[in-house]
Amino acid sequence: MAPFDLAQPRTLEEAFALLDAEGARPLSGGTALMLMMKAGVLRLERLVSLRNLGLDRIEAHGTLRIGAMTTLSTLERSPEVRKGWPVIARALRTLSNVRVRNVATVGGALAHADPHMDLPPLLSALGAKVVIQGRNGERTMAVEDLYAGYLENTLGKDLITHVEIPPLGKRGAAYLKCTTRSADDWPAVGVAVVLGEETRIFVSAATDRPTRIADENALTGLKIEGDLHGSAAYKRQLLKVYLRRAIDEARNASH
Amino acid sequence: MKRATQATETPQVGRSVPRLESWLKVTGRAEYVHNLRLPGMLYGKIFRSTVAHGRIKRIDTAAAQALAGVYRVITSKEIIQLIAEPYFGPAFHDQPILAIDKVRYVGEPVAVVLASDPHVAEEAVHLITAEYEELPAVYGEVEAMTSKAIVHDVLRPAGTFPDLKHLKDRKNTNLALDFHLRRGDAAKAMKNAARVFEHTFTTQQVMHTPLEPLVSVAESTESSLTIHTASQSPSFVRIEIARLLGWPENRVRVRVPFLGGGFGAKLYIKLEALVSVLSLLTKRPVKVSLTMEEQFFTITKHASTFRIKSGVAPDGRIVARECEVWWNGGAYADIGPRVTQKSGFTAPGPYDIEHVAVDSYSLYTNLPPAGALRGFGIPQLVWAYEGHTDLMARELGIDPIEFRRRNLLREGRPQATGTVMKDAATEKVLERISALLDWGKPFDRGTGTVKKGRGIAIGFKACVSPTTSLAAVNVNADGSCIVYCSTADMGQGSDTAMAQIAGEVLHMAAESITVVHSDTDVTPYDMATLGSRSLFHMGNAVKLAAEDARNKLDVLRKELNLAADCPVSDIFKKKYGMQAGNVTGAGSYIPAYKSPDANGLTDNATPFWMVGGSGVEVEVDTETGKVRVTRLVNVADVGTPINPKIVETQISGAAIMQLGFTLHEKMEFDAQGQLRNASFAEYKIPGLLDLPGTMVNEAVMAEQKSGPFGGKGVGESGTFGVSPAIANAIHDAVGVRLTSLPLKAEDIWEKLK
Repeated sequence: MAPFDLAQPRTLEEAFALLDAEGARPLSGGTALMLMMKAGVLRLERLVSLRNLGLDRIEAHGTLRIGAMTTLSTLERSPEVRKGWPVIARALRTLSNVRVRNVATVGGALAHADPHMDLPPLLSALGAKVVIQGRNGERTMAVEDLYAGYLENTLGKDLITHVEIPPLGKRGAAYLKCTTRSADDWPAVGVAVVLGEETRIFVSAATDRPTRIADENALTGLKIEGDLHGSAAYKRQLLKVYLRRAIDEARNASH
Repeated sequence: MKRATQATETPQVGRSVPRLESWLKVTGRAEYVHNLRLPGMLYGKIFRSTVAHGRIKRIDTAAAQALAGVYRVITSKEIIQLIAEPYFGPAFHDQPILAIDKVRYVGEPVAVVLASDPHVAEEAVHLITAEYEELPAVYGEVEAMTSKAIVHDVLRPAGTFPDLKHLKDRKNTNLALDFHLRRGDAAKAMKNAARVFEHTFTTQQVMHTPLEPLVSVAESTESSLTIHTASQSPSFVRIEIARLLGWPENRVRVRVPFLGGGFGAKLYIKLEALVSVLSLLTKRPVKVSLTMEEQFFTITKHASTFRIKSGVAPDGRIVARECEVWWNGGAYADIGPRVTQKSGFTAPGPYDIEHVAVDSYSLYTNLPPAGALRGFGIPQLVWAYEGHTDLMARELGIDPIEFRRRNLLREGRPQATGTVMKDAATEKVLERISALLDWGKPFDRGTGTVKKGRGIAIGFKACVSPTTSLAAVNVNADGSCIVYCSTADMGQGSDTAMAQIAGEVLHMAAESITVVHSDTDVTPYDMATLGSRSLFHMGNAVKLAAEDARNKLDVLRKELNLAADCPVSDIFKKKYGMQAGNVTGAGSYIPAYKSPDANGLTDNATPFWMVGGSGVEVEVDTETGKVRVTRLVNVADVGTPINPKIVETQISGAAIMQLGFTLHEKMEFDAQGQLRNASFAEYKIPGLLDLPGTMVNEAVMAEQKSGPFGGKGVGESGTFGVSPAIANAIHDAVGVRLTSLPLKAEDIWEKLK
């Protein structure tokens, strides 16, 4: 890995100024970024840490408002999350491993746009929104609109500051994934289901981005990519099975 | 750390002594080469080939050399000025320190950048470019037998092994050894058999993945060289480096502290020749430490193809067996030819078969080299013969354990080579697995989309022979004791075992004994820490050395008219008038051995047999093909356990490692020989969540009469049965037979559709 500068700004304005330089990138947990830098895929001159911007709080007033720099394990252990959105805590328990969860952040997990990740489909199904800070102000966007393709987000040069998740209430919800090698492997497929007046189903990992489908029958139209985790045909089968199981689990989910 | 009282009458052998080094390890003070920094040290980073087979037309190092902070860039051009023939290897002198003229696999080292800052060296590696004239390449082991693509223009056997000498100067072949065994007349017996079965099984290329990657440091003067290295074979390193340099052995010193895992990856020469020449060329200490990912391009486990054919008599006895095994050795032979022969002769399995034919072939291909990996070829063989055994039992309608009982190779019966089985508890292992699985009782077959099945497998291994171990045991004037041996403790607990053996002889607590790690200036010769040989060979040498020291002390007692039970410290006080002096005992051990004849036969193939087997219960999801191992029992004959706790963890560790090779791990190459999953995000080793619901690891009551206090090796036996037992259990659950590793859920689903 080539040597780089690490900047640790205390305000968003400072952060944006530091990010304007050539070869600069924001750094949240670094669990994905560091791997890419070590592999030589990304060669950066400056990392701008977002750690000191005060973006690591969780507030629950009906809506769950999560600072983008909240670590996944903080979210996993949050009493508010366990009480109001237990499906998130359950999903996090099988997300990568505890070492990754201790440093990876919610904002990073959304911005990275790797379709194999667990939070994007789940938060999309929960109807979550991201609050995005740009140089010229703030905007809000549905989580599913963050994704333009494989490893491609729609953030431009802006930063996610918060995630807002509407109350789940008594609606049943489930997230299931299937790994085809070890348990902590990237999933071959992910399926998130939130039942209710408007049932929301998102699939991931088999598609190039979290993709909403109306119901089980809509699976046939999906463009599915085969990779080292399984062929397209196998992933299609896994999706069919896991979608049915996720719907069953959501129906039986009690909290 | 609390040390027990030194002198004791408590037996040291058979006691679960906690690891001597555990305190150092958990407090982060155990010595590893990765932590070593020497004044003025340069770091080397390796530039690697991007083509699988090609002539090197040009290597452009100018931009790398020009980068600020780069000390020097080295290619084979500089190396051949120091060593005219810089090729190394235990079986063939075929592997260049850096590629010369040709590259033979993607990832082969071509150049090295040296800098005081490892990040600068790494940065500069990206600035090197090379041009190759690509040559046709060969990847498959069976294909390599007849391929027009030839990996090595001329074969160069090292001269150490008599069965390789006939290959010297051979051209137009990828065959690095063909081993043949003929006992009885298999072809004729096959013709006369009531039933004949034939199957072909394959295994995939995988990697050792020690958590401490390969690392070596060399420091030099004009006339001496010290190599600090994470090596399982310090004595070999000294001899081979001395040979390369044309120096006497005493000018090369090889030091080995602790290893963070080895599993066969850290044998023979890996980075040692490279750091040695880099240090001699620059007159600076040089360190090369690989990343985890670079290990994929250094040493791996043989992929293999095994065609097995058996003839069975009407009473269910196997009367004839033919085995053809092809081993994918990759671009450099490493120890592959020994895998081909030493494991090859056990290919017919632990069964009593009168007529046997074995053909075992070691092949060069354009893939990363393959060598020893926990089992030395045995897991590949057991995978095939135990799948075959189960398929035959099924076809014949005989219970699989009963079928094995009928054919098992028992004590006193000759194995394929003609060597008679001795101290090999095949029956006990088989019966214990059966008991642990409650085989005779009804079995729940599962419901709905979850089907249950169970399976077993049993394998055996001959310890590699002949090999030598020497040891020294020093008793100090105060009665304390130091053991000197070149066995590398890489996590298997050898320090503790050796201390227990010395302590048993000298009536001292193992915890109070110091074990000095390999330092070829200090510790005596040892062949290597491999193939489960150390507890037996080095254990015998340490025992002999301790007995020698004890005898010398007894002689002194007599000379000095001291009582036979007087404390050791009194002997020295009386002899030297104060706390002074010491007594050194020496021990050397080499077992008897007889080379196989032209038919591969010998009446003494090995000093001891290892027996290991597994029983498993699985659940298979019929909608997805996913397999969950709910129960895994592993049983081994390890002789008499010297340290029962370590024995148990060795069996479980070996089984879990094999579980990864069975269900997840595979190096996936594309059509150009590029590794597609050269990262641990895409090459998955098992984690805690992948462990079976229940796991039992046991040693049967046994004794290896020629072993130290009845003991023998245990490092590999847990690997033998795991893969075929799982495949057999899947077959039992859903009627699907897989014949290739790893056992992928997708393949099961394909067959279930």
